[in-house]
Amino acid sequence: MNSSEHTANHAIPNLFSFTGKIKILHMSWFAFFITFMIWFNHAPLMATIRETFNLTSQEVKTLLILNVALTIPARIIIGMLVDRYGPRIVYSILLAVSGVLCMLYAMADSFEQLAITRFMMGFVGAGFVIGIRMVSEWFPAREVGVAEGIYGGWGNFGSAAAAMTLPSLALFYGGEDGWRYAIGSTGVVAILYSFVYYLNVSNTPKGSTYFKPKKSGAMEVTSKGDLVLYLLMNLPMYVALAVLNWKLSPANLGLYNEGIVLLIYGLLFALYLVQSFRVLEVNRHVLKGEVAEIDRYSFKQVAILDLSYMVTFGSELAVVSMLPLFFLDTFNISAILAGMLASGFAFMNLVARPGGGLLSDRFGRKKTLIILLIGSMIGYITLSNVDGTWALPLAVMATMACSFFVQAGEGAVFAMVPLVKRRLTGQVAGMAGAYGNVGGVTFLTVLSFVEPALFFITIAVAAFVVMILVALFLEEPEGHMAEVLPDGTVELIEVN
Amino acid sequence: MEPIVVGQVSSAGIKPANDDACGVHIPQGSQLYNKGIIAVIADGVSSSAGAAEASHSCVQGFINDYYSTPESWTVSTSASKIFSALNQWLLGHGQRVFSNSRDMVTTLSVLVIKSSTAYIFHVGDSRIYHCRSGVAEQITNDHHVQGRGDKRYLGRAMGINHHIEVDAHKLSVNQEDGFLLTTDGLHEFISSSEINGVIAQYADQPQLIADTLLTMALENGSDDNISCQYVQVNQLPAEDEQSFYERIQELPFAPELSVGMSMDGFKILRELHSSARTQLYLAYDIQQERQVILKTPSVNYEDDSTYLDTFQHEEWAGLRTHSPHVMRVYDIRERRRFLYYVSEYINGITLRQWMADHPQPTLQEVRAIAEQIIRGLRTFHRLEMVHRDLKPENIMIDSHGTVKIIDFGSTRISGIEEISSPVDHSRILGTRNYTAPEIIAGGSGSPFSDQFSLAVILYEMLSGKLPYGDLGDHPSIEKLLRKIKHSHYTVLNHHTKEVPVWMAASIQKALDPSPAKRYPAFSEFYHDLIQANPLFRIDHHTPLIERDPLSFWRGLSLLLIVTNITLLILLNT
Repeated sequence: MNSSEHTANHAIPNLFSFTGKIKILHMSWFAFFITFMIWFNHAPLMATIRETFNLTSQEVKTLLILNVALTIPARIIIGMLVDRYGPRIVYSILLAVSGVLCMLYAMADSFEQLAITRFMMGFVGAGFVIGIRMVSEWFPAREVGVAEGIYGGWGNFGSAAAAMTLPSLALFYGGEDGWRYAIGSTGVVAILYSFVYYLNVSNTPKGSTYFKPKKSGAMEVTSKGDLVLYLLMNLPMYVALAVLNWKLSPANLGLYNEGIVLLIYGLLFALYLVQSFRVLEVNRHVLKGEVAEIDRYSFKQVAILDLSYMVTFGSELAVVSMLPLFFLDTFNISAILAGMLASGFAFMNLVARPGGGLLSDRFGRKKTLIILLIGSMIGYITLSNVDGTWALPLAVMATMACSFFVQAGEGAVFAMVPLVKRRLTGQVAGMAGAYGNVGGVTFLTVLSFVEPALFFITIAVAAFVVMILVALFLEEPEGHMAEVLPDGTVELIEVN
Repeated sequence: MEPIVVGQVSSAGIKPANDDACGVHIPQGSQLYNKGIIAVIADGVSSSAGAAEASHSCVQGFINDYYSTPESWTVSTSASKIFSALNQWLLGHGQRVFSNSRDMVTTLSVLVIKSSTAYIFHVGDSRIYHCRSGVAEQITNDHHVQGRGDKRYLGRAMGINHHIEVDAHKLSVNQEDGFLLTTDGLHEFISSSEINGVIAQYADQPQLIADTLLTMALENGSDDNISCQYVQVNQLPAEDEQSFYERIQELPFAPELSVGMSMDGFKILRELHSSARTQLYLAYDIQQERQVILKTPSVNYEDDSTYLDTFQHEEWAGLRTHSPHVMRVYDIRERRRFLYYVSEYINGITLRQWMADHPQPTLQEVRAIAEQIIRGLRTFHRLEMVHRDLKPENIMIDSHGTVKIIDFGSTRISGIEEISSPVDHSRILGTRNYTAPEIIAGGSGSPFSDQFSLAVILYEMLSGKLPYGDLGDHPSIEKLLRKIKHSHYTVLNHHTKEVPVWMAASIQKALDPSPAKRYPAFSEFYHDLIQANPLFRIDHHTPLIERDPLSFWRGLSLLLIVTNITLLILLNT
């Protein structure tokens, strides 16, 4: 057996244990699960909310975008807080704060209040980063891939759980305000769990040595060209927010006045400058001279993974937000049924995401990613054809098939993240994650202008373009220089 | 071109005998980086009978001894030990051979260039000049005392007194710098502008510089022995970045190992531990027929040069510490083809486990363990190393009850610190609960820091508690330091009455936030652990605020709240 595929014989941790690192994994994926449930608790109840407030279609779509907007900058802030204070306290506070925001949202009595609270809840989406850090502190290299797959996959399932249960819960509470109680309940769960989490985890294994992060605030790059590319790649995050600002401006929806619009533009511009300055500061050495070979890596790889995650996870965020309403409007079914059926998309997370990682380990990373992107593209083209004439089961199967490729694609991206530059894994993962959110905002903004069919087509086109980029520019990560003979002897392979 | 070229000459001049001596050594291989190059010049004082023997012994002795000192020592430590040893020998030998202890007197000037720094040690009136861009600047002072009239005497020299004061200088060296070492037969007769002229004229030809200076001194009427050395630095005796990275990456990472695999003659028997940073295996060494521990780096750090350097440091430190109380690292550098290192298998438990098994140990048990840890630590300190990450997890007790210190990943090695390195080691920290505050604050640590960690461990063994509370998940370093500084210390006797007050007090002294207030030596600490130090008077009337400040302030706050509420109620009625 050639151990260049050594990730294939992953040690699968014993998940039925509830001690040590496995306990940390369980506690953490559940924390992520709750944040995801809260983050998407509005989607399956949107029909009722639309009715209660008499929202226009534009207003509904605005709420969907607002939900993912703040997440982009929030990830950066949360990342810095985790560096400084450790994942335990940061996750606990995030859970508690999101619980409170959730209740405020449940108590809103105008579109403006809904909008503001939803916008603030975008912060919840940044929870992902915290657990990734926690898991990497606890698991040895051999197990960390599977552990983070479980963390990400099972946690993402939270949005499916929300879609499946909240409409029924709302009905159970009954009355006009049933949806408010249902959303409020998720907030209560979050607040309670924040204490459970705080009391049950610690930042590092007992007795392990504490390491100060080396450089923070921006990622290191290793050549002048990469520095330029990095500065360019930061731009879309601000452009996405600027587009949102324009969307809410008097020119469009008119949520606030011209003064605030300008203020926000100014603020975004200033933030971009500040970040670029930070980037230059961290990478001053690149401008001075050559970087040692051991430290070199190609930022191009990061950029392509970012874009891949943008079309996969980004489209998932957008689709999960709109799907319940899409089913309800297209097939004229009850909110409960729509929620249930739509949850099929996020449901696939349980297997598809870890599965994508496994496929990537086994069949070559570039090839796998290309195939999964093509699959996603075909999936979205199929979804664009779904209309009232389709048999409902067929439509559900189409969404599930599509989501398999999308989420397996996410898994395949994250299987490659640690191979770009081991030392920078956290930062590469953080940037890919941020691009996922950029995708969410972008696609939902598209949705606010066009009909669902065209929205799906847009995603399909994006997937196609990224697939081409992957095929042209992504380099297959290198294998290892050792081989294990059949009798178990470890041999060195000569590499030239 | 050779990295360092030296020209030297030593002549009796018009005198019948030459009492001067000079010598130089430029080692090969790793010694060049670890110890540097050395040039020594000595001028035996001709009024003493054994002048020539004195100067020659000093030059030869210094060079030989310098390269025999541990590589972990700093240049200054090595030099000061050699200076005093040579001085003792001169006095003793003079006494024996010439029946006068002052009959072997010599000046001694030493230049060591290690990495990018020059270290100069000097006693007497020979000189060392630093030459940069055509100007020779005298670094050393002539140790003269003014006698009657014009007469000047040598104020300080080797072989005069048991106590010797050596001047030490440290300066950074650039490529193309030069150093000139001279005795007074030369520099008393040649002006510094003449020296500058010669150096400029024969740039890159050190031997010509030395010869020309000698000729000039003779022409100018020198009546003494004449010696000089010119050291030209073409390239610093330091590893360049390229070869540094090549060296630390020389060996590939081992693949994921599982039971039954064998690698370089080590058969994997069992995985003992794996973390985000390393894996530990129990392995069987087929060649040596013994069980060993094999430690492999985690693939997470494949491209992290700081980590790689640290990992290899650990082995370096382990190979140099020989003590029954420090884990042995085996030298397998010849046979391995992957990056890992191998150490003795200690069949036993960690101190952490021992503490769990012995929640209430006897004082004698604690002392026995303390004594062995101290012995282990002394081995480190004698080599000018500081362990810096002493904690119950890093101490093993084998089946015979022998205590051994393991894990040298955070060890500070003074001699290595002098070597400039492209990687930054400042982010390496120990475990907060056991690490001395001066290290947490970013300092590099001293033997006092290990004393602090040891005292935390003793405190925990005796009471099951930590002296400053659990600092593990403490959010910020600043707050944590404040907590330690402002004595959130709980007196040991607050937790247990079994420990004598004087013993508790000695542990408290070793736990002082300020290193200067701890014990100056382990021997004193250990002594105070066994015998009541009268300074720690048994005082049962220590106020609560000192015994247990936390309870005091809590109690006081509670009292204030109750008073306030009472007042509020009274006011409202």
